[in-house]
Amino acid sequence: MTAAALFQSILASLPEIVVVAGACILLILGQLVRKGQGHFLVWASVAVVLIAGLATLMLAGEVRPAYTGMFIADPFAVFFKVLFYLATVLTFLLSRKYTEIEKIGSSEYYVLLLFALSGMMILASATDLLSIYVGLELMALSTYVLTGFLRQQRRSNEASLKYVILGGVSTGIFLYGVSLVYGLTGTTQLDGMAAAVTGDPLDPGLLLAVVFIVAGLVFKVGAVPFHMWVPDVYEGAPTTITAFMSVGPKAAAFAVILRVFLNPLVAASDAWIIVAVIAVVTMALGSFVALVQDNFKRLLAYSSIAHAGFAMFGVVAGGADGIASVMLYLLIYAFMNLGIFGTVIMMRNGDFSGEVIEEYAGFAKSHPGLALLMLLYLFSLAGIPPTAGFFAKFYVLVALIERGFVILAVIAVLLSAVAAYFYIRIVMVIYMREPERAFDLALSPSVRATLALTAAGTIGIGLFPAWFLRLAQSSVFGG
Amino acid sequence: MVFPLLSLIVFMPAAGAAVVMFLRNDDAVRWTALGVTVLDFALCIVMLAGFDTTTHEMQFTETRPWVPALGITYALGIDGISALFVFLTALLGWICVLASWVAIDRKVKEFMVSLLAMQALMLGVFCALDLFLFYVFWEAMLIPMYVIIGVWGGDGRVYAAFKFFLYTLAGSLLFLIGVIVLYLHGGETFDILALTAQDLPFRVQSWLFFAFLIAFAVKVPMVPVHTWLPDAHVQAPTAGSIILAGVLLKMGAYGFLRFSLPMLPEASVHYSTLMLALSALAIVYGGLLALAQDDLKKLVAYSSISHMGFVTLGIFTLNLRGLEGGILQMFNHGVTTGALFLFVGLIYERTHTRSIADYGGLMKAAPVYTGFLALFTLSSMALPGTNSFVGELLVLSGAFAANLAVGAAAVLGALLGAAYLLGMYRKVALGPASVDLRFKIRDVNARELVAIVPLAVFVLWVGLYPKPFLDIIDASMRHLLAQVHGDGGAQ
Repeated sequence: MTAAALFQSILASLPEIVVVAGACILLILGQLVRKGQGHFLVWASVAVVLIAGLATLMLAGEVRPAYTGMFIADPFAVFFKVLFYLATVLTFLLSRKYTEIEKIGSSEYYVLLLFALSGMMILASATDLLSIYVGLELMALSTYVLTGFLRQQRRSNEASLKYVILGGVSTGIFLYGVSLVYGLTGTTQLDGMAAAVTGDPLDPGLLLAVVFIVAGLVFKVGAVPFHMWVPDVYEGAPTTITAFMSVGPKAAAFAVILRVFLNPLVAASDAWIIVAVIAVVTMALGSFVALVQDNFKRLLAYSSIAHAGFAMFGVVAGGADGIASVMLYLLIYAFMNLGIFGTVIMMRNGDFSGEVIEEYAGFAKSHPGLALLMLLYLFSLAGIPPTAGFFAKFYVLVALIERGFVILAVIAVLLSAVAAYFYIRIVMVIYMREPERAFDLALSPSVRATLALTAAGTIGIGLFPAWFLRLAQSSVFGG
Repeated sequence: MVFPLLSLIVFMPAAGAAVVMFLRNDDAVRWTALGVTVLDFALCIVMLAGFDTTTHEMQFTETRPWVPALGITYALGIDGISALFVFLTALLGWICVLASWVAIDRKVKEFMVSLLAMQALMLGVFCALDLFLFYVFWEAMLIPMYVIIGVWGGDGRVYAAFKFFLYTLAGSLLFLIGVIVLYLHGGETFDILALTAQDLPFRVQSWLFFAFLIAFAVKVPMVPVHTWLPDAHVQAPTAGSIILAGVLLKMGAYGFLRFSLPMLPEASVHYSTLMLALSALAIVYGGLLALAQDDLKKLVAYSSISHMGFVTLGIFTLNLRGLEGGILQMFNHGVTTGALFLFVGLIYERTHTRSIADYGGLMKAAPVYTGFLALFTLSSMALPGTNSFVGELLVLSGAFAANLAVGAAAVLGALLGAAYLLGMYRKVALGPASVDLRFKIRDVNARELVAIVPLAVFVLWVGLYPKPFLDIIDASMRHLLAQVHGDGGAQ
């Protein structure tokens, strides 16, 4: 690699370098910061992300392949990176007060989040199965630890252990698929793979490899049948981490899925049938099981499974509209899901867990404004216009029907009618019950800011989707 | 740049809702809500004054790009069909505020916000000329209506609200699929007028017809997807019932007129017999159910099913008399049934019972109340001289021209209507006064009278001189028929 190429590569991966370097510096600084000065860590972490964001936007002008084809900085990656920055910053803002209440506020918490962020960023830019693997592991290892951060709680430990074991197995399966691909095509680069197998009927070995890779990737988005970890991990992890995982790593996994699945190799292998089946089953399971949940976090876990299923329909559709619809879906989902998690996090105070849905009874009576926000997020998650959640689903449906998958679209909307039930059930509890106790909210300015921003996104994208739609459409890779 | 009158009409209640949100005093909230709705109504009158009845073209149109990448525009406009319903919605708007003046005594602010939001969305549905915009308005209505029924309703309100929400949602989602299919077949546009001009293959039309049918039939409601209606009506607060009966039910029929008929003409003609049969079934079945009710509100609710049967019957006769009768009947039903729900609400505020068996001899205690009740009851059973007579007569004459058996069934339904309505009136108003209620009843006061009299005026106006109302819809109806039967097919 010449010096010029190296320079170009470093330039292309500058945001990643900023985040990793920032995380390392904070790791050292964190040891020097005295107790009770946690706000320094929060703002320093936010600053790191903002600098990375600045770097990303400054370099966004052109497509920059780097590291001999393992990495690319293209508009597609920029879109996802901005989404990750958003999710991470909002998680930082939500964490400040929450970590104090849970007594888990240490520098490692923020550093691990930054490492997870860098893993996600690498995933969004990866164009080689090996760089995908590196990003995947960096992200996953950080989230394993973060899941277990509530050291005193059995639940959290159990979730972490479960996540590590299942995650390890899924990575193993993924790597096995990668090794098969390498053995059959002699390359691990996505483009090279495609070039190696044009024309002929597909080798059964390759098909097997594709299935393994698919399995490894859909594990991360929590799609059926690789969803078993989701409810336990979501319930056991600190709520801020749950919020983060449901938005960031999930979007990162979708970024990879889009790159890999819409690769000509996979497109030629009829893998879309597998994806379609996964999408239907995922959405059905998420929607139906969520109906009987009493724990808010568990319910949101199943809801996130259902949403993953819906976004998966966009992958099935494929094409420019299909890809753009998934991207827009994930962006909108980030706003509304972080919003609803924000309200759950603000409930956690004193001996009040805020995790049981019944505890929200009559919330609208004492806090009409916050209740209205919850109503907004919930109806958005249910996909009722004029919220953004509707437009997200609408665009996926357009992409599906455009490709002739009308039956899949019908299944998708019927299942989302089922899903609407458990969202509006929470609205019912908030609005139509009498309060049983006074609410004591952990409402810091940064939580307020998070709620305001997510609410603005949820209603704003719903009313004026044009700009965001264009953004997603122009960020689609390959044209 | 034309003055955006329709946008003003549609968004004024929404702006009012935003203002109300920041008021602290309940009375200020009530007066603001009333002011906004009355002003909106005044604007509607201005609009009707400038409405040209000689053309079927859309008037007061406004178009702005909204999501250009998907061909979505913000387009509003009205023709003869929608003008009448915009007017009805605006009229019932302030009547609803008056009806909730004392009936809603807790969370007044939230209620008025929901009511005003509802008002804006309903007006939006009737004005939208873009299918996507229409769908947004149509579906967004679920949110305030769910809250209105669920928070301020009766004892079984939660169940009723859920049932309403899920029924309507499930129906609309298939409509959404239909909309997208239509969009892709129609050259990637959501413009309703452009889509109307499309000539779709019959197979596609059939599928779309049934996708639309599910959504619209739930809203109307037609038998057998009517079961949400009695629950929702009975549990909803008075204003909620008035909105449901007066406007929401009309949207299903409006959907048939705006989408099914002009966009899917061949399918509409092909399946018209099926629709006629379903309508006749609704008329007779709704009537029979109403006959068996002891609860006043339930009785009116089931009578709605029967009356809406007349509306869909009129629409699917696909001849001029039937169609004009059907539309007029939609307006009439809004006025009359809205009034009946208002009356049930008024008496319920005083006695806290809706059981017919608890009443009797109300005539002596509340002569003004029972006098007006008589007028609206007679109107509901279509006595000559009242509004429904004109509508039903037109529908029946259209129905007999279209299908003899269905016409006969409809006449049977009309007879049933006379039976349950007169029976209800006799038990409530006439006879010896019931012991429990004799001393408590207060007659209507001035505020209530202000809500009642305009409705009574429309009952008699349409009944005695329907020409202005028929003039509004006439040009649009002829054009619609030409579209359905192919050019020159108007009779």
